Amino acid sequence: MALIELKSVTKIYPLGSQEVVAVDDFSLTIEAGEFCVLAGPSGSGKTTLLNLIGCLDLPTRGEIWMDGREVSCADQKALSELRLRKIGFIFQAYNLIPVLTAAENAEFTLMLQQVGKKQRRDRVLQLFSELGLDGLENRKPSDLSGGQQQRVAIARAMASEPAVILADEPTASLDSHASEELLTLMQRLNEEQGATFVFSSHDPLVISHAKRVVRLQDGHLELDQ
Amino acid sequence: MDLLNLAWKNLWRSRRRTLITLAALSFSLMLIQAFHNLSYGVYSAMIDSGVRAGSGHLVVYRHDYLKNRDEKLSFNSHDLVEQIAQIDGVEAVLPRLYLPGLAQSSRESRGVLLTGVVPAAERKINPFLRGLPDDQWLTSLNGREAILGSRLLKELQLKKGHKFVVTMQHSSGELVSEMFRVHGVIKTGIKSVDKSLLLVGRNRAAALVGHLDNVHELAIVLEDQKNDRLVFPQLQELLQLRSDLEGLTWEQAMPNLYNAIRLDYASQKFIFVIMLLIVTIGVVNTLLMSVMERFREFGIILAVGASTARLRILVFVEALLLGLVSMVIGNCLGSLATWYLQTVGIDMRNFISETLEFGGVVFDPILRAGWDVPWMAKISVYLLLLSLLAAVYPSIKAGRISPAAAIRHQ
Repeated sequence: MALIELKSVTKIYPLGSQEVVAVDDFSLTIEAGEFCVLAGPSGSGKTTLLNLIGCLDLPTRGEIWMDGREVSCADQKALSELRLRKIGFIFQAYNLIPVLTAAENAEFTLMLQQVGKKQRRDRVLQLFSELGLDGLENRKPSDLSGGQQQRVAIARAMASEPAVILADEPTASLDSHASEELLTLMQRLNEEQGATFVFSSHDPLVISHAKRVVRLQDGHLELDQ
Repeated sequence: MDLLNLAWKNLWRSRRRTLITLAALSFSLMLIQAFHNLSYGVYSAMIDSGVRAGSGHLVVYRHDYLKNRDEKLSFNSHDLVEQIAQIDGVEAVLPRLYLPGLAQSSRESRGVLLTGVVPAAERKINPFLRGLPDDQWLTSLNGREAILGSRLLKELQLKKGHKFVVTMQHSSGELVSEMFRVHGVIKTGIKSVDKSLLLVGRNRAAALVGHLDNVHELAIVLEDQKNDRLVFPQLQELLQLRSDLEGLTWEQAMPNLYNAIRLDYASQKFIFVIMLLIVTIGVVNTLLMSVMERFREFGIILAVGASTARLRILVFVEALLLGLVSMVIGNCLGSLATWYLQTVGIDMRNFISETLEFGGVVFDPILRAGWDVPWMAKISVYLLLLSLLAAVYPSIKAGRISPAAAIRHQ
């Protein structure tokens, strides 16, 4: 059984009196343990596709299945629960909560899952150690570099051990050195822990690290290799 | 780290805005509590003075006496005075006889309300009489000494020690006259009272009109005004054996004073409601700005798995914390202000004209607050509820955020 399956998915956004077809009749299957990049130029539908896979949006037509369950017709409550239990997010601009410390940010999804305080702190300390964030637990995001913030975001995404981690242009705000470090780290997590990663990016560096590249053009699948 | 911790930290994102909102809420609570407690203190003193000089905290009359003050509606108090005096919480029972008549000096004549009192008991309770020197007070129930209102004395052109004659109707219908001597003068500051007040010993007054042991009023003064609800049912029970009599509370016996106080409280309430509404709008503004500023962040929180309900709860918890902190600060400030107004008070001597002095005895020109603790607690809870009410609209806004749209938002 595939981890994620998109069947003839179409997403249309209203734009004033017109409609914009962001993704058109798109089908894709992603297996557990993949390290996959959705590549393509701006406006090709990468982020829309990632939002659909991440249950942040619902398709206009077609079906989306995750872990054997159809999510394209689920209600908001069920989608929240799916995002909480099955999906980890990493965003382009890190998007950590500024008033929380690095460790509290990483614990956030575990807190939402109502995991005990000690248990979640242990999990986060272990992740911080693996991600090279030792000693930064009590720093606020504003006291961390871009690369460190993105690592905290990875820790947040991985803390609850989701089925898939979705990363939208994760290197867009980082310099090439920090980007290389981050991608190597994610690759290691994929290989050592079997974590499934799906990226959206047009960065050649990200594409070069990917095991699978799904190239989009104007909302259509152009290449899957 | 939990929702409460996150809400607390969120409150201090914009320290200045939160402090301003807290100050507005706390100062409003302080002002409302201080003003209410000042009114409460002043009114409590007014009520106490009013009832002590007037009909008491509780009063007994013949049915219908209060409607037309017909002097024929007197009653024999028998053992009632002693029985009432034995009820727990009763400080004194004052039997009074009220008789309209005509006072004549050698030069003038004036209509008077001759009041027959028990001198010792009356002086202990009535604040108007406490200021009188001992040698000017009535010495017996049967004496010919009389205490006059200051205006009456002036209008009759009398002086201390002068004699005058009072003429009134005997219960048999005959006109009777009695000579009295001016023994003391009191000034209440109330024109109508000072123009007609004439106090004499009760037995002398009763004998004059042939009422003998009868009285028109039993004024009951309590040790503590707040006990009227406890004592009143016991009084009613006693009066069950006397179907000709009725027991009344001071509110029923002195409707003018009661209604004036109620009217003032009502206008105060109106001002308080407006104050609280303005403050609530401020809280709505703070919370709404805080939600709109975090539009993208709320999108992220939703994206990582928080439900919209949890997001709404977060906004409510922030409002709750704002309300709780304001409640604590506001109560401290309100208590401090009340304490100051109680111990130091507001000196109105430079502002109150002579006619409003009420003899300088009853209505203290230094206004002092009292502690209405249940009301302070009630208004604090209202403030908290208003803070939560102010969170309704911002929380609805927060709940409507679409995570996908919020993440795109710059």
